Amino acid sequence: MARSSRSKTRKPSRIRGLVLRLTAVGFILAVAYGGYLAWQATSEFEGRRWDIPAQVYAAPLELFTGRALSAEDLVGELKRLGYREDPRLVGPGTYRVGLGRLEIATRGFSFGGDTEPEQLVAITFVGGRIAALRDSSGSRAAIVRLNPLLIGSLFPSHGEDRLIVAPADIPPLLTDTLKAVEDRRFDSHFGVDPIAVVRALFVNVTSGEIREGASTLTQQLVRSYFLSNERTWGRKLREAFMAVALELRYDKADLLHAYVNEIYLGQDGARAIHGFGLASQFYFGKPLSELELNELALLVAEVRGPTYYDPRRHADRALERRNFVLQRMADEGLATNDAVQAAAEQKLGLVDDSRRGAMHSAFLGLVRRQLSADYARDDLERTGLVVMSTLDPAVQTAAERALSKGIEGLGKNAAELEGAVVVTSPHTGEVKALVGGRNANYEGFNRALDARRPIGSLIKPAVYLTALESGRYSLASVIDDAPIVVQLDNKNTWTPSNFDDKAHGLVPLVRALAESYNMATVRLGLDIGLEPIADTLQRLGLKQKPTLYPSMLLGALALTPIEVAQMYNTLANGGFRVPLRAVRSVITEEGELKQRYQIEIEQAANPGAVYALNHALIQVMERGTGRTVRRTLPDEIVVAGKTGTTDDLRDSWFAGFTDSNLIVAWLGADDNRPIGLTGSSGAAKIWAGVLTAIEANSYSAPAPEGVDETWIDYLTGAPTAARCPDAVAVPVPETDYYPHVFGCNGETGVGARIRSWFGGNER
Amino acid sequence: MTQARGSVLARCALLACACLVSACATVSAPPRTAPSPASRPAPTAEDTQPAPAPIPLPPPAASTSRTEPPPPRSTDVPPARPQSDASGASGALLEQSRAQRAAGSLPAARASLERALRIDPNNAVLWLELGELELQTGNTAQAATLARKAMTLAGRDTRLSARAERLLSAAE
Repeated sequence: MARSSRSKTRKPSRIRGLVLRLTAVGFILAVAYGGYLAWQATSEFEGRRWDIPAQVYAAPLELFTGRALSAEDLVGELKRLGYREDPRLVGPGTYRVGLGRLEIATRGFSFGGDTEPEQLVAITFVGGRIAALRDSSGSRAAIVRLNPLLIGSLFPSHGEDRLIVAPADIPPLLTDTLKAVEDRRFDSHFGVDPIAVVRALFVNVTSGEIREGASTLTQQLVRSYFLSNERTWGRKLREAFMAVALELRYDKADLLHAYVNEIYLGQDGARAIHGFGLASQFYFGKPLSELELNELALLVAEVRGPTYYDPRRHADRALERRNFVLQRMADEGLATNDAVQAAAEQKLGLVDDSRRGAMHSAFLGLVRRQLSADYARDDLERTGLVVMSTLDPAVQTAAERALSKGIEGLGKNAAELEGAVVVTSPHTGEVKALVGGRNANYEGFNRALDARRPIGSLIKPAVYLTALESGRYSLASVIDDAPIVVQLDNKNTWTPSNFDDKAHGLVPLVRALAESYNMATVRLGLDIGLEPIADTLQRLGLKQKPTLYPSMLLGALALTPIEVAQMYNTLANGGFRVPLRAVRSVITEEGELKQRYQIEIEQAANPGAVYALNHALIQVMERGTGRTVRRTLPDEIVVAGKTGTTDDLRDSWFAGFTDSNLIVAWLGADDNRPIGLTGSSGAAKIWAGVLTAIEANSYSAPAPEGVDETWIDYLTGAPTAARCPDAVAVPVPETDYYPHVFGCNGETGVGARIRSWFGGNER
Repeated sequence: MTQARGSVLARCALLACACLVSACATVSAPPRTAPSPASRPAPTAEDTQPAPAPIPLPPPAASTSRTEPPPPRSTDVPPARPQSDASGASGALLEQSRAQRAAGSLPAARASLERALRIDPNNAVLWLELGELELQTGNTAQAATLARKAMTLAGRDTRLSARAERLLSAAE
C-alpha cells in the first residue's frame, strides 16, 4: 500500500520533472538555435563585406591633336560613359556641343597611382580628326584622357556582381529616400517595425493591392543574404530574429551601408546586379554621385522588384513606380515640389544597352584567362581587384557590328553561320576587341578563344617566311606550280591541287603566295623541309609543336582565332613577337598597384625576311586572292593580308593588318558542316567591314638594313623595268644579284599577260 | 576568205589587248623617297587667336586650310617616315617619361612611354627610350631586343641607327 501511495504521489512529480526537463532542453535548443541564427546573420554580414568580384575597365580614351576621331564618334563615347549634354557644363561628366567643336567637363580618375585630373577641355574637329585641344585656361593641352569605361566584372558562377560604394560616396538623398519609401522608422526601430506591420495590413487591405511592405531595411538585408523566396511564417520569424540580432550587434550606419551595397536591383543575363553602385552603372552608365533626382528615384523604385519593374522590359510599370517614389520624396520634404514635378516629366533616361556586361563577355573571358595564370579563382571573384584592360570600346562595338551585319549580308546559310573576330594592336600586342560569336550578347561558346579549326592557306606565310629566311629564296625566285605527287608512306600518296584546278607553271614566289597556289607551295615547303617550317610556326607564337605531315603545308593544322592572331601579330610587328595581352595592370581594392603587364618583345624572325614577306602579303591584296575585298577599301591605303579556306569550304578565314590594327576573322558552322564560302568570299568581307569602321591608316615599314629592291614581272618573275605592265617591286637581299633591265622583257611579259586573259595560262 | 577575216579579228583583239595593257601600265609605285603621308596635321595658326570665354577656341572654319590632300597611294614601297623626336601627344608623354625617370620613378616612366607607344608605335625614339629604361633596370636582354626593334624602324636615319647601335652594344 505504502508503495502504491508512494507511487501515486511520485507520478505527478515525475511528469512535472519531465516537463521541466523538456522545457529546459527546449529552452537550451531555442537559445542554441537563436544563437545559431544570430551567428549565421553576423557571419554573413561580415563575410559579405569582402565578397567583391574583380572589376574590369576598358582602356581610357586618349584625346590629342591629330587623332582620327570625329565629333559624332566622341559624343558616342561620351554617351557610353554616361556623360550628359548640358549647355551650362555644370560638374564633371557633362559636355556641350558647338559648331565643329565640343567642350567636355571630364571626370578624372586615379587607379594605382595613375592619375588624370578632372578638367574642362575644348576640342575642335576638322575632317574627322581632332584639330586642337585646349584646357580651361585657353592654352593647348597635349593629351587628355577620359575616365575608363567599366565593362564588367569577373563574377562567380552564382552570378552575383556588385560595385562597392564607400559610405562617404553614398548620397544622403539616396538613404533618406530609401527610408521614406521602404522603412520610415528605420532610425528608431530595433530591426522590426510593429507599427509598420499593422499599418501595411491596413493599407493593403483597404486599397486592395499590395502598395506597402512591412519589412524593415534590416529585414530586407537579411532576406537578400539568404536568397530565400519562400513566404512562410517560419521564414518571416527567422528573418525578424536575425534582423534584431544584426541591430544589436551593428549600428544603423553600418547596416545602411551594407544594404546599399547588397540589395538586388537588376539582372543582366547570368549576372545579378547587386547594390546601388553597380545598378547606377548598369542603368545609367555613371557613378551614383552623378545621378539626377529622377534617376535616383528609379533605383529606389527597383528595390521593390527588379523583375516586375524592369525599366528595359516594363517601362510603364517602372515609370509609375518611379513617380510614386518621387511623390514620396516631395511628401517627406526631401525635394521641392517643383523639382519633383520636373523629375516626374523626365523619361527613364536609361543608358544604351551596349553598356551591359554581357556585351563584353567574350573579352572578359580572355581577361579571366590571362589573369588565371597569376591569380586564384577566389582572388578574382572575391577580393575586389580592379583590372585595367586593353579593350577599345569603339573597336569592340565596330567588330561586333561588322560580324553580325556581315553574316546577314552573306545571305546563304546565314542561319547556321557563326564567326569570330580578334583585333589587336600589332606593336604592343594589346587585344582591342574580341567577338566570340555573331550574337555578342549571348554568353555562350567563345569561338575566338575555343573554336579550333584548320587554318588552310593562313599557314602559307610561315612556309614562305622559312624559305626567305633560308637565304635560298627571294620573292623574285621562280618556283614551279606544276602537278605534284607526294609519297606519304609505302602505300599512300597525296596529290594536292590548286583551288582553280589549274597549274600555273613557273611563277615567282610573290605571285605563288599572292594567288595562294597550292602545288607551288607544297613543292617549296618540301624543298625547305617540314621541320624548319614547324620551327617558324613556333617562333611566330604557336605554343604546341605541329605534327609534321606534308598536309601541314596547306593548313591541315587547327588553331583558334586568338592563336592565329598571335601568329600574324608577329608578322605585323616586323618579326618581333609580343605576347597578346588583354590586361595592362591589376590594382588592389585599396587602390595600390599590384601588378603591371608590360610590353615585352622578342625577336622571332629575320627582319629583312619579314619585310619581304609582308610585301608579298600586300600583293595578296593588290593582285591576289584579296583583290576583290581590296576594291571595297579606300584607294590610298596600304593593307597586307591572307585568305584561308579549308576542304569542302568548311572554314573561311582572313587575317590582315595595317600599322595600327591586326584583324583576324573566321566564319564557319558550329557543327563543322560546309558553309560554301572561301576566305575571300566570306571572312575577308567581315575583315574589311571591321577595318573600314575603325581606321583608314596604312601599313608601312621602312626597309631594314641589307634589303634592296628590284622590279620583276609579276607573272613570270623575269627582270623588268618599272614602267612595264605587271611590273612589281619586290624587296630582295642586297647581296643577291639582279640585272638592271631597261626594256619590258620583250614579248614574253605582254604575251604572258594576254595569254592569261584568254585562260591560256595553264600548261 | 574566212581565214583572212579570222586573222583580222585576231589582230584587232591583239590591238585591243595591247591598249588595255598600256592602260594598266600607268599604275606604278612611287620612288622610295616619296614624302610620307602626314599622319597628323600640324596646327599652328590658332595660337594667336583671341580667347572667347569660357574655353577659348578659334572657329573651326579658320583651320580648314590646314587639311592636307590625301597622301599619294603607295603599295609597293611603304614611305619612309621622317625620324625626329616625337612630337605632339607622344612627345609630351616622352617628356613626362623623362621627367619621371629623372625623379627616379622608373615604373611611372615606363607607363608613360607605353602610353606614347600606343599612340605612335612606329616611332623609333620611343622604343629606344624604352630600351634605355630596361638597361637602367638591368634587363639587358629586353634592352637589346628593343634596340633591334628601334633599328628596324629607324630606316635610313643614321643618327637614330647609331643611337640604337650604342644601346645594343651596351646591352650585350
